[in-house]
Amino acid sequence: MKPIKVISSFTKALSVLAAVLVLNLPIMGQQETPPPPAAPRSAQFPKPVERTLKNGLRVIVVERGGVPLVSAQVLVKNGGEADPAGLAGLADMTAALLTKGTRIRTAPEIAETIEALGGALEASARWDASTATVNVQSSRIEKAMEILADVVRRPTFKEDEIERQRQQTLDELSVALRQPGSLARYVASRVVFGDEPYGHSLSGTPESLARIKRDDIVKMHAAYYRPDNAILVIGGVIKPDDAFKLAEKFFDDWQKPTTALPAPVAAAVKANASPQKSRVVVIDKPDAGQAAVVLTRTGINRSDRDYFRGLVANSVLGGGYSARLNQEIRIKRGLSYGAFSSLDIRREAGPFIAATQTKNESGAEVATILMNELGRLASGQISDAELTPRKAVLIGDFARDLETTNGLVDQVAGLALYGLNLNEINNFINNVQAVGASDVQQFAGARLDAKGANIVIVGDAKKFADDLRKQFPQVEVIPEAELDLNSAKLRRPSSQTKK
Amino acid sequence: MRRIRHVTLLLFACAVIHGSVLTPSAIAQTKVPRLDYKERKLANGMRVLSVEDHSSPTVAIQVWYHVGSKDDPEGRSGFAHLFEHIMFKSTKNMKSEMLDRLTEDVGGFNNAFTADDVTVYYEVVPSNYLETLLWAEAERLASLNVDDANFRSERDVVKEEFRQRVLAPPYGKLLYLVEQKSFTTHPYRRPGIGSIEDLEAASLENVKAFHSTFYRPDNATLVVVGDFDQKQLDAWVDKYFARIPKPDKPLPRVEIKEPERTAERRYNETGTNVPLPAVAITYLVPPKGSADAAAMRVAEAILSAGESSRLYRALVYEQQVAQSASASTDLREDSGLFILSAVLAGGKKPEEAERSLLAEVRKMQDSLVSAAELEKAKNQLVTNQFRERETNNGKALALGDAAVLLNDPNRANTDIEKLQAVTAADVQRVMKKYFPDGNRVVIHYGPEAAAPQRAGDAKGAQK
Repeated sequence: MKPIKVISSFTKALSVLAAVLVLNLPIMGQQETPPPPAAPRSAQFPKPVERTLKNGLRVIVVERGGVPLVSAQVLVKNGGEADPAGLAGLADMTAALLTKGTRIRTAPEIAETIEALGGALEASARWDASTATVNVQSSRIEKAMEILADVVRRPTFKEDEIERQRQQTLDELSVALRQPGSLARYVASRVVFGDEPYGHSLSGTPESLARIKRDDIVKMHAAYYRPDNAILVIGGVIKPDDAFKLAEKFFDDWQKPTTALPAPVAAAVKANASPQKSRVVVIDKPDAGQAAVVLTRTGINRSDRDYFRGLVANSVLGGGYSARLNQEIRIKRGLSYGAFSSLDIRREAGPFIAATQTKNESGAEVATILMNELGRLASGQISDAELTPRKAVLIGDFARDLETTNGLVDQVAGLALYGLNLNEINNFINNVQAVGASDVQQFAGARLDAKGANIVIVGDAKKFADDLRKQFPQVEVIPEAELDLNSAKLRRPSSQTKK
Repeated sequence: MRRIRHVTLLLFACAVIHGSVLTPSAIAQTKVPRLDYKERKLANGMRVLSVEDHSSPTVAIQVWYHVGSKDDPEGRSGFAHLFEHIMFKSTKNMKSEMLDRLTEDVGGFNNAFTADDVTVYYEVVPSNYLETLLWAEAERLASLNVDDANFRSERDVVKEEFRQRVLAPPYGKLLYLVEQKSFTTHPYRRPGIGSIEDLEAASLENVKAFHSTFYRPDNATLVVVGDFDQKQLDAWVDKYFARIPKPDKPLPRVEIKEPERTAERRYNETGTNVPLPAVAITYLVPPKGSADAAAMRVAEAILSAGESSRLYRALVYEQQVAQSASASTDLREDSGLFILSAVLAGGKKPEEAERSLLAEVRKMQDSLVSAAELEKAKNQLVTNQFRERETNNGKALALGDAAVLLNDPNRANTDIEKLQAVTAADVQRVMKKYFPDGNRVVIHYGPEAAAPQRAGDAKGAQK
């Protein structure tokens, strides 16, 4: 037994080493370490084709093989950024109400018709866009398109449905506002964007929702839901000719208004503005079971030439369980269940956010770690062993998204929304692969400078505010009862403090 | 950790749409593509199924072990599930949870579930990581460290899972009771999660015996679907799996049959965290391979799929006796269950929901369902099936299920026709055949604080 024991402890040591490094080891007899990956395999995704109808509606079709499903999406090129002042949540509500009644069908009738087809219909708004999407088996697409056109073109916005939707949103908001994590994100938007269009909450606030009237909804629909401000994307198992014929049948007579298109809504905050004085905002919520800690600043927009460098940099920093933030905060120090980052890339520069939750006492420590890690991304080394899996996560998520018809349509619609080449889905993998370590460092230094980063913490301030001030003297503390998400000031005048 | 809900497939006979703009060829072309699989059996008994699909550079890898909670040893309920946890711990060449790193860190994901009849481990990774994951699956089949440390840590985790799934949620205990009360004899009567007592009584020797009895190549089916080269897959399978020896001992199978039910059984049960009372009614039905399975699934959809379904319309919308109501088929390798359930609306009593549920059963026994309902049910079942099969992992699930539970991978292709061929008469026939009064188990479930129901009250709910 002895010789075998000696060999096995040797190979065990080697396998531990190899398991950490994942290198190309020569195969010596029995394979004891995980074989390394082969070179990434490429795949050809389908190429979209398009036409524009006389009324200005851009129609894009992506045919693919596989199980016979079709998704059709109407994308209107405006979303939450178009909310008028004081009416945050209007775009979101307008989109949600599309499926709640048209001139020829009530809300229950719409639901029944879609169910009878075995299909799914949903509508919602986000930043820069509002969408209505239907997904059915291929042989049922005609009826499904009829309903899609009906809900987009002829919603009735009945008062009882508006009230139902308002109440539902208020209920959801009341839950979200109690959670330190969501609350921190609402505050972060105000800190980064102030009173500019990206600064308010997409779903609104209790105050703004109370103000929304039917007339506002009707006006928003009339202003933005028009064929020359919309894109129709049809994807799945359907021939382009059939898809274009269906588009013409149900959307050709969608009248283009004689009025001009609404002016584009630009967020004033530019991605490369000289760093504003960074803020450190604490919302004092004494009943918070944990502190939500957020690091945030402006990021980049979709047409930025550094787009892929941004994706990879974010993946290295906080794009998963083994990325840097989670390594430092959860794995090494046990300070959180999970710490991640995101780069929200929009028509104008969207926010970069690094977020986590930790016990109140650790709020200051975690904020410092987030800041340090953002800085280290620009200055420290990034080995291949680190970069490869972080790029693989981006590629893997993308490839899996494209397995489904809904995923394919969403990807193509996203490219169309921002005026990009529709064949970019076939360049994604190569573009990610092309990003190197020095690209990530340069991007981090130039575009995600820690000096321009703000900190938001929602938690029990007495447990961390003093420690926080030692690192960041500019701490502002706002008691939860005085918090006003309706303005960049973030603080109600004291006469209006909530009970 | 959930049971498999396998929806049988539909080989699509296309409907004619009047006044359609779709070209006739477009309608004719909407056929379900076959899962074109290759099959191999290694000398050590392991079965390998594979489907090439190059539309996305990903690959799904699944290993189906033909062991489930029905194989838990007597007095050791929860073993198959506990074992599923231990399979993620250390092996000879992998430290604990390394499989998560080998999948999540490369742009993939992984998970596993334990069902009544099978335990399935699955992952999806970018296709250039196929060899790595084949190695890892072979590694944990052949070289798992079934040691005291791994056993104890996972037993604690599973006990927490029991608390989280059964004790904590409002109706966790009801789901547990449905298993226990629906079977008198067959091991299905022991829920897969097990019991705290059995888990605490387990020893390392018990666990090792379970492992060596069931985790063996001749009890495993490897399913690979996605972007790979068949020759290369065959070579890697030979390299990593063929060397695993087949044990020289018998493979036990459950032979016990659940007897037919001859008379209704009724139970009044309580729990500690029950906001509203609930009712569950179960019927004993044939195995999932039965010729009547398709008609039962159609009946399930008519009763329960969506807000225009019979149970929703009657109990929730019109009568307002229930906050939610559902029907579900739980078809298994041996006998299965058809389960009707409802959570009561505020102020309503379980017997009221029971009456309404049974009235809906009676309607479907007395009259044919409408052509529109039949068409809708088939549309819903078919589209759900299509959505599952969009992804490589979904295709692999469909193939593995047919291979291991129906003993014929091609049923993933042929069961379609059966579903499409279901008629209104078939639905009525299965409702009459499998839903007589004597085939019922009825459970009323309420909060502990409520006054105990007398036997007479419960019986009064019957018509």
